[in-house]
Amino acid sequence: MPRISLGNLTFHYQQTGDGPDVVLLHGFTSNLAMWMFSPLLPALSTKFRVTSYDLRGHGMTDAPPSGYTSAEMARDFAQLHDALNLKPAYLVGHSFGGVVGMHAALLFPDQVAGVILSDSYFPGLSAVEPNMEQTAVWQGLRDAFEKAGEELGATVDFRRLFEIVARCSADQMKIVQDTLGPESSRWFSQMPQLARTNAAEEAFATAGLDAAALVRVQQPVVALYDEYSPFQATFRFLVEHLPNAQGDIVPEARHLALLENPEGFVQRVRYHLRRLADIKDVAMAAEAPMSESKITDG
Amino acid sequence: MKTVDVILTDIEQILRDFQGREYSGTMTAETSFFGDLGFASIDAVVLGETLQEKYGVTFPFHELLAELSQQGAQDLTLGEMATYLHRYLEAVGED
Repeated sequence: MPRISLGNLTFHYQQTGDGPDVVLLHGFTSNLAMWMFSPLLPALSTKFRVTSYDLRGHGMTDAPPSGYTSAEMARDFAQLHDALNLKPAYLVGHSFGGVVGMHAALLFPDQVAGVILSDSYFPGLSAVEPNMEQTAVWQGLRDAFEKAGEELGATVDFRRLFEIVARCSADQMKIVQDTLGPESSRWFSQMPQLARTNAAEEAFATAGLDAAALVRVQQPVVALYDEYSPFQATFRFLVEHLPNAQGDIVPEARHLALLENPEGFVQRVRYHLRRLADIKDVAMAAEAPMSESKITDG
Repeated sequence: MKTVDVILTDIEQILRDFQGREYSGTMTAETSFFGDLGFASIDAVVLGETLQEKYGVTFPFHELLAELSQQGAQDLTLGEMATYLHRYLEAVGED
């Protein structure tokens, strides 16, 4: 299993393909399984060298007690970039992975050629996204845990979620996972480990990536948000205020486009990466995005 | 060319000494990864990487998962995994 030491931590990573560098950043409480078992890797690896890794505290990477802000995770990325001798990379970040990607673009501009954001919520944009605390995703979780006899609370609280998952019995978790579907085990399996860290608090800290900082990102950014995204105001802010941003929409997705509409997600990511890397071929011409699509109230 | 049974035995051997966890109970082709063995997604990653190292090929696991999803399957058995690996190795001409 490929592992690499960065400072005091050992990171688990995978690399495949050949071409311009692409780095995939998974979301909070996920791991690189989301890429490994998806159609995205084979779709990209014919034209790009694709690196994915488990963020600290996730998957097979070490889980220190702290260091989970997007700024610290951006430094992890920069160290990995150096250690693997990558060229300036295109980052594809799902949800919190996109926050890490944008922070890396700001702090380490020589290592980031561009960023594709997949439905990211930015703690530093909480003023423009006031309803994040009561998203449909959280309400779905709350309903599932209620069936298992646990009360998550009405507003987003990852500390509470981690602690509840850590103490739930196998029978309770089966009720939750049966309610939410088999894919949900992907996130819950991380939580007992994360419950022993400061990740629940630190990952939702602005950590310097506020609105004023975001608009200083000069690299090309694709805001690839889901049709029924809970983060519509964030999408609009990014497209309207970033100096070099383009918006695009994945139809029939609510926050997990790679699972909810894998074909649509892969097509758009591949198209935008080829566009950003200036790879022109027949396949690209056939994959123009549907940029006139609109985000719909979920 | 390895038979499905040989590949199944390979999988069982990997799981007998698996990242500090040991699956010591009876394993058959009907044993399921998530329901019976308590797999988490990262376990699937480790198994996938180990299989790829063992056979020297990159398996497009998303195709297997897409097949299972189309069938409405909620889990994956060792036998289904062995059959898929055998089919893929045969297609690419690997031992």
